[in-house]
Amino acid sequence: MKFLLFTLLSALVVVFLNIVAPYWVVMIAVTALAALIRPTVWGGFLGGGLGMGLVWLGQTLYISAVTSSTLPDKMGALMGLGSGLSLMLLTAVLGFILGGCSGLLGVMFRNLIQKKPTDVYLG
Amino acid sequence: MKYISFFSILILTCALGVLVSLPFGQIPPLAPLLDPNHGFWQNSFSEDQLAEESLDLENLNAAVEVVYDEQLIPHIYAENELDLYRAQGYITAKHRLWQMEFQTRAAAGRLSEIVGPMALELDRMTRRKGLAYGAEKGISYLTENDPATLALVEAYSDGVNQYIAQLSDARLPVEYKLLNYRPEAWSAYKSLLLLKYMSDMLVGDRDLEYSNLKKILGKVNLDRLYPDFPTENDPVIEKERVWDFTSSAPVKPDSLNYPEETLQLEPLVQPTEGTGSNNWAVSGKKTKNGNPILANDPHLSLNLPSLWYSMQLSTPTHTVKGATLPGALGIISGFNENIAWGVTNATKDTRDWYKITFQDASRKAYKYGQEWKPTEFRVEEILVKGQDVFLDTVVYTHYGPVVYDQSFKADRQDVNFALRWIVHQGTSNEQKTFIQLNKATNHDQYTEALKDYAAPAQNFVFASKTGDIAMRIQGKFPLKWEEQGKFFMDGADPRMEWQGFIPFEHNANTLNPERGFVSSANQHPVDSTYPYYVFDNSYEHYRNRRLNRELAAMDQITVEDMKGLQFDSYNLQAEESLPVMLNLLATYGSSSKEAQKYLTDLKAWDFFADPAKKGQTLYSIWFAETAESVWRELMEQGAPVVRPNNFQTIALMRDTPEDAIFDVHMAEGVQTAQYHVRVGFDSLLVAMKKWESKEGDYGWADYKKTTIQHLVPTFKAFSVPDVYTGGGAGILNATGPRHGASWRMVVELGSTIQAFGIYPGGQSGNPGSRFYDNFIPIWAKGDYVDFGLKKKGDQKGILFKTILN
Repeated sequence: MKFLLFTLLSALVVVFLNIVAPYWVVMIAVTALAALIRPTVWGGFLGGGLGMGLVWLGQTLYISAVTSSTLPDKMGALMGLGSGLSLMLLTAVLGFILGGCSGLLGVMFRNLIQKKPTDVYLG
Repeated sequence: MKYISFFSILILTCALGVLVSLPFGQIPPLAPLLDPNHGFWQNSFSEDQLAEESLDLENLNAAVEVVYDEQLIPHIYAENELDLYRAQGYITAKHRLWQMEFQTRAAAGRLSEIVGPMALELDRMTRRKGLAYGAEKGISYLTENDPATLALVEAYSDGVNQYIAQLSDARLPVEYKLLNYRPEAWSAYKSLLLLKYMSDMLVGDRDLEYSNLKKILGKVNLDRLYPDFPTENDPVIEKERVWDFTSSAPVKPDSLNYPEETLQLEPLVQPTEGTGSNNWAVSGKKTKNGNPILANDPHLSLNLPSLWYSMQLSTPTHTVKGATLPGALGIISGFNENIAWGVTNATKDTRDWYKITFQDASRKAYKYGQEWKPTEFRVEEILVKGQDVFLDTVVYTHYGPVVYDQSFKADRQDVNFALRWIVHQGTSNEQKTFIQLNKATNHDQYTEALKDYAAPAQNFVFASKTGDIAMRIQGKFPLKWEEQGKFFMDGADPRMEWQGFIPFEHNANTLNPERGFVSSANQHPVDSTYPYYVFDNSYEHYRNRRLNRELAAMDQITVEDMKGLQFDSYNLQAEESLPVMLNLLATYGSSSKEAQKYLTDLKAWDFFADPAKKGQTLYSIWFAETAESVWRELMEQGAPVVRPNNFQTIALMRDTPEDAIFDVHMAEGVQTAQYHVRVGFDSLLVAMKKWESKEGDYGWADYKKTTIQHLVPTFKAFSVPDVYTGGGAGILNATGPRHGASWRMVVELGSTIQAFGIYPGGQSGNPGSRFYDNFIPIWAKGDYVDFGLKKKGDQKGILFKTILN
């Protein structure tokens, strides 16, 4: 349950905070959120990753749909990646990695200051 | 264990966060670029999707209304001029910030700051030509003599800076994101620098090549192959014009000594061939509606974002519309409620080189007559991305900067030449000219406005609602004795100095000539009766004659006729030379099937360079190869020279095909024009074989491959290649592979002004916007968009509206 909650809240943080703040502030926020909610280690990584990665993917899809701009394709060609689609995936992957690491870090931090060992949950 | 895993993840995460914020070589920082909320994705929105009802602009006296039409052309309604130009700066920056910044950085010799050491040589060259030096003098001139204009230029600058100050990451132009830098503050100095940069684009000189040619060919042959006036001169100012003033032209001093070294320097970068323009105005007596019609199409490099940006600028006392140069105030080529005007480049040799004799290696003094004059040192500080600051010391003489010296391109030769150029003078005020022109209501005010204009010299065409048409060749032209400045001069001899300037009243001009039209197409400004020395290497010989023939023959002219003439693709050079070439070719090569195919194409061709025409492709290759063969030996003398122009080459082939000039010394026997025409034809066969096997179709547009290129050539995806359109060099529609009509405008000055315009680009500088290149297909077909004046409150065809306050 914590995993789902964390994923959902991470996604919300990305949606609202990222509008006004750069990616690294969002990373810190996801870390804090993970420390607060304390999902499992894997849950932290996957939840943060999915939260940020899926939102970023969704945003690129949304922007492409409402603008029908040729820019993603132009940028894809410019960066030697072929099409805008590969840039979309790259954006999603980057979001996943940044969010995942942040989530994981948050869980690790919480585990560090928490007295009770958490290993049992991993079974 | 907990600690180890925590710290390793901490380090990993931090490292990752930092890593994606750093550039790697040419790859920009990944996360800021890809972040959908701030990165390039945000540049996908078109301007109408981001429309704001109101925006903050400080220092305004009253609210300013900006109304965008369906082409994203802003119509700015301000209560006074200060507000108007503040808003112009703000709105221009909103749509073209990266471009205006990039262009002025290039003009200031500061590209190395952005792209690193690869631009260092270019930056040094730019600075050594003294563009920034000229702009600095321009600012002090305005401060001392024209604070009113300076205040307007500063208001514009403030508008740009207010936009930069409130610019979010999301709205930052994508080029900044890719090149990983941010805009810096704009200034009045940059606006002046931009106008100097136009001089650099448009003005050339061939002193070096002519000095070499004189040595190689001798004076007699030089004059024969490179005459100052062609046999069929059809000048800008009609031949019938009587010069009713006493010339103050100086007399050529006796026994002058020119520097006589074997010159093997590399010449300065010259304006690209094909850079030119057309403009004309027809009087009411020649038009269907009885109103004057004015047309203008400047030909420049075809770039994206386009050099031009259209706007309407209105105050309660004037409304003006047309093409602006992002970074400069007002409209450059356009019309208001009373007049219309346009510009073409008025080339005339205004850049000269003086050999400097330094007293000693310290270069602190140089010889001038009997004395030693002190030099000045200007240290150029060039910041280079990823490297230390580069300091470049440039010696200035009273003539101007010593461009090449021991520290710059010294391998060339141990010679020092100073560049004398009008842009180094601070006493011009081009910005004021345009501000005044924007408000002018009649011919007198137009003439008055041009008084402050020095460089780059332009043919200013004019038409007014009251029925006047006029042309004035305006620039500050040095007074020269016969042939002064055609060759390198000796800076130690005071008699080689420019002798002052041609008085404004004596600059060639005409008002309401008998023939009912005025026109210019970069040809000779005047005929040989003009009492001042006129020389330039690059005068046009074909567009002008085609234009004047058509205008003379036309009657009951409509706006549509004038649009047609701007898009006219008739190749007069081909008409005059192809029969000569076919005649000289005779039956040569006709046994080959391929040759026959091409000859059939050529013979069936009607001389129109339309996109599908094969004849134009074949002719252009054949003529180029023939001319190449004719002048090969001259060009291979080992020193930089220029070829005689096509008009002279064709005249020689036609009139004196057995001339000794056609003989090839390396080959056996005696060669005539026929030999070169046949060599050219052989080369054509080779070139076509290669082309047909590789590319297939050889229709003109497919062969020419007109490309509208992004200002950063490596950003290929932001360019628009292979535009299907006709025209070419020497043709009224002068659209070649990389150059052509950068702006087309036709205005009929009736009771309601009718105006049409187009340029190969779009109003938006953002490659992600639907307004980035939406004009290109319209332009390529020779169509236009409506450029009529919009009254405040006019609700028709509005995209969106923004209030600045």
